Amino acid sequence: LGHGSGGILTNQLLESGVFDLLKNPLLDEHHDGAMFEWSGRTAFSTDSYVISPIFFPGGNIGELAVNGTVNDLAMCGAVPKYLSLSFILEEGLTMKEFWELLVSIRRAAEKAGVSIVTGDTKVVERGKGDKIFINTSGLGNIHPQAHISTKNVRAGDKIIVSGSIATHGIAIMSVREGLEFETTLTSDSAPLNHTVKALLDEFGADIHLLKDPTRGGVASVLNEVARDSRLGVNLFQQPIPVLEEVRGACELLGLDPLYVANEGVFMAFVPAEKAEEIVQKLRTLEYGQDAAIIGEVTTEHPKQVVLHSRIGGKRVVNMLVGEQLPRIC
Amino acid sequence: SQKSVSFEEQTYGIRLTGIVQGVGFRPFVYQLAHEWGLTGTVSNGPEGVKVVLTTDLTTANRFLETLLANTPPQALVEKYELESLPFCSFQTFKIIESQAGKLTNGLKLTPDFAMCSSCRAELHDPQNRRFRYPFITCTQCGPRYSIQRAVPYDRAQTTMQVFEMCPACLDEYNDPNHRRFYSQTNSCPTCGIQLGWYTCRQATAYSSSFLHDTHWILDRAHRALKAGKIVAVKGIGGYLLLCDATHESAVATLRERKHRPTKPFAVLYPTLDVLQREATVGDQESDALLSSVAPIVLVRPHKTTSIAPSVNPGLAHLGVMLPYAPLLELLAHDFGKPLVATSGNRSGSPIIFKDADALTELSQVADFILTHNREIVLPQDDSVLRFSPFYAKQIVLRRSRGLTGSVNATGLTSTTSIQLSFGASQKSTFTLLAADNLHTSQYLGDLEDWETQTHFKHTLQHLVKVFDVEPNRFSADAHQGYFSTQLAHEWAKATKSTLQKIQHHVAHFAAVLAEHRLPSSPEPIAGIVWDGTGLGSDGHSWGGEFFLYFPNPSRPLGENIERIAYFEYFDSLAGDKMAVEPRLSAFSLLFPEKEELINNKFSEKERSFYAKLLAKNTLKTSSVGRLFDAVASLLIGIDKTSYEGEAALQLEELAERYFLKHRLLVTQYYSLKNLNYRFIPSKELLEAIAEDVLTGVPVDEIAAKFHVTLVKIIEKFTQETGVQKVAFSGGVFQNALLVDLCIAVLGDTHELFFHQQFSPNDECVSFGQAVLTP
Ligand SMILES: [Fe+3]
Ligand SMILES: [Mg+2]
Ligand SMILES: [Zn+2]
Ligand SMILES: [Zn+2]
Repeated sequence: LGHGSGGILTNQLLESGVFDLLKNPLLDEHHDGAMFEWSGRTAFSTDSYVISPIFFPGGNIGELAVNGTVNDLAMCGAVPKYLSLSFILEEGLTMKEFWELLVSIRRAAEKAGVSIVTGDTKVVERGKGDKIFINTSGLGNIHPQAHISTKNVRAGDKIIVSGSIATHGIAIMSVREGLEFETTLTSDSAPLNHTVKALLDEFGADIHLLKDPTRGGVASVLNEVARDSRLGVNLFQQPIPVLEEVRGACELLGLDPLYVANEGVFMAFVPAEKAEEIVQKLRTLEYGQDAAIIGEVTTEHPKQVVLHSRIGGKRVVNMLVGEQLPRIC
Repeated sequence: SQKSVSFEEQTYGIRLTGIVQGVGFRPFVYQLAHEWGLTGTVSNGPEGVKVVLTTDLTTANRFLETLLANTPPQALVEKYELESLPFCSFQTFKIIESQAGKLTNGLKLTPDFAMCSSCRAELHDPQNRRFRYPFITCTQCGPRYSIQRAVPYDRAQTTMQVFEMCPACLDEYNDPNHRRFYSQTNSCPTCGIQLGWYTCRQATAYSSSFLHDTHWILDRAHRALKAGKIVAVKGIGGYLLLCDATHESAVATLRERKHRPTKPFAVLYPTLDVLQREATVGDQESDALLSSVAPIVLVRPHKTTSIAPSVNPGLAHLGVMLPYAPLLELLAHDFGKPLVATSGNRSGSPIIFKDADALTELSQVADFILTHNREIVLPQDDSVLRFSPFYAKQIVLRRSRGLTGSVNATGLTSTTSIQLSFGASQKSTFTLLAADNLHTSQYLGDLEDWETQTHFKHTLQHLVKVFDVEPNRFSADAHQGYFSTQLAHEWAKATKSTLQKIQHHVAHFAAVLAEHRLPSSPEPIAGIVWDGTGLGSDGHSWGGEFFLYFPNPSRPLGENIERIAYFEYFDSLAGDKMAVEPRLSAFSLLFPEKEELINNKFSEKERSFYAKLLAKNTLKTSSVGRLFDAVASLLIGIDKTSYEGEAALQLEELAERYFLKHRLLVTQYYSLKNLNYRFIPSKELLEAIAEDVLTGVPVDEIAAKFHVTLVKIIEKFTQETGVQKVAFSGGVFQNALLVDLCIAVLGDTHELFFHQQFSPNDECVSFGQAVLTP
């Protein structure tokens, strides 16, 4: 993108026709906002995306911005429908890069079955951003059978992950740190709404809670749930699915996969007696092949997440405090 | 009789505090008073022992003097006071009912005592009614701290409460001339504690049995040990796992089931004689082994030792102990050979002390469980001591059974608030400071482990209850990620008080200063604090610190401590991983300059990966622990460790081998051209070592030079700063050779202060935090 005042550039951008990529009837009306009929129980979510590098193996910031909000809606038990999309561009981002992002945004929106109905673009001076920041907000109708809430979590509930964890974070790190691992890892960024909808169609209110373990990883989600529900979590190391390359990379880096970010994975809290059936179902669905039961909710140690290691030890999995500073004396 | 002719009879009270309960103090006072023909009472109370006498002042004073000069062997009177009371006339002298109340006045909890020689003789005497009774005790020996629920110390406040004395025991208890007069743990085969025996099958204990008699059970245990089986035995501080220490496959099985690949096991010898046939045991070592503490002590086994190699793989030292409880005495005596005796737990978790836990958890490790029905309230590991090879300086490696409960607080407690300090993380302890009571808990383990956290909280709750206090000032380590710090936050929040965060190494330094009552010293003191890691105030990982203490009584202690120098920072790679992979320390210090020495420690992939990581790394460290790791990796090829301190321990042994051959020569060391009191060149040191490795200097000689160089660095620091007094703390000073070299190099010209009752490792941190909290 060129230099000069934001306004001019933005206009040039608008006139350049790149936004035609995102064409849909609502957006085409060029109003100050999207106008449409709406009714029923609704989920509404927003998130901003800041990531470096903006292109990484298996994805980019544009795709992530769509999937992220789609997934946040899905975690509410909603079927995502409309998205807003806002960019803050830093001078220096090339037109080619921007165009590539828009292409992935369109593809991701199509895949998730959502329409981008309103948006905004601002350009800031070089040094005032990090190439590109994206904000998306989304609206969706809550699935009629869904009843998702931390309040539904019960002692005895099993905790399911839909797929192998830590892949996204390690993929990002491998590019950012310039570290190549055995095989090139790709981010698992994916829209989870179809998978979630399939589960809700079949199991409805038995899905007590859904969470996507993005920043802070599985450990942070479990700690939040434990804190909010005032219940404890027992986590079992053995069944936690982690790709071999990811495990190796974590081992090299001295990182715990439980703290590494995910993008194409969700966690479900479900009644013990349904857990196995739900896992079986997940394994037949897209993005659910590696699904596994990795833990359970307990009254034993309220607000604490305890990891049962392969050899039988018990370790407390804390909320991550700052960066991982060494503790060993 | 020595009763003086009195002009004015009056009633006097004598209060004594310190370690005065559970040590035979009341019977001692009783006997003395009767000898002197005095009338009055003696009782235990929340502040210690209280004597009331009606006599003249001269006699009262002389009685007090005689009392203090002849206290029972285990007693330690820290304070006493004579006061006059309203007149009261007594018929005779009696021991009266204890008075309950708040523990506020310096009473120490009495530690557990190893079996005394009189009880040992009775145990083996077929004519004695306690012949082979596994719970024989007297006023001079037996469990105290581990079975005490509340103060004052009386049977009703201990887990002996459920056992009712038979007439024979009661007679002893009431007989002023008997050595079990007023013995609170008194019991015998008729009325006492019973053994239980379980066979473990497929991870569950079954065939519960308190039905069989002691002889049957001891015989079973004996046969099991002979057959190379693992027997879990309920001891004083918790369950121990025993197996034949000379039986390689028994030891290997224990390692496998305990998930403890190489960390050395301690060995229980039946007698000092048997031990001395197999190992070099110095006077200090044997004194410690035979003391009432009866800790594990490190010794050097002879080449001809019968100990299986996997007991202490690759190490020249072995931790040994002698039977400190009658049950262990019987087992060891019957077996006649050394037994592995390691705490009953999974590696990393706290010692198991509850019977129910033993049955579920230890049944997965042991083949049999030998238990009994006296409950343990406060679990403790065995304490571990070592003595330096040349100057026989005592070093506490773990302060626990027999050593806890006895911090002398004199001169340390000026505060009126009730303080609780939460210590560090891996070698956790806490310190409670209330008026004249200063209690530092026993070693409580690694707080990364969930069960250890529970254990920490349990012990904390228990002691707060025993002392019956409400802490209102809190301090903890500055590391937010420590469980202890987080727990401290909760306590502080609950009482709406602020939490004082204390830098790790400052706490170490304060601990050694306080232990020697140095804060009142008029001269500046150097603080050499070297360990593995602690969060520094600049956000980096410290561990090679040089402090100065400038006395200034008008300011709080912490403000008089200044960090003057530290080992030149090097990259702290990959978080906690660096501490378990010594090769990473070598990499950090020597890549790429001496690449040829480290390349073979990494795969191609790993190497390029760590090189990149190194280039972007931001966290730095000054850790001497990591320096030891790097050198051990270079000299011995220890690239990954399976227990904490492994690399440093091996390196110390390597250097010790050199000095044992060549006496304690301190002439060879690396002279570092960039060294001055403000700059300690880590890289230059490592490169000099690498140079020696490349030119083929023998590794034991390099290890020796490395050790001497460290001491020369301290010498340079003290010379340039002109400081005469030097205090040492931090886990690195568990290295006995380093301590000896400090004494050899600096001892004549400086006054040196090492920890005595505390360990230099992180166990002392809570104590340091407590004395730093104004
Ligand atoms: Fe330390
Ligand atoms: Mg989000
Ligand atoms: Zn005795
Ligand atoms: Zn009896």
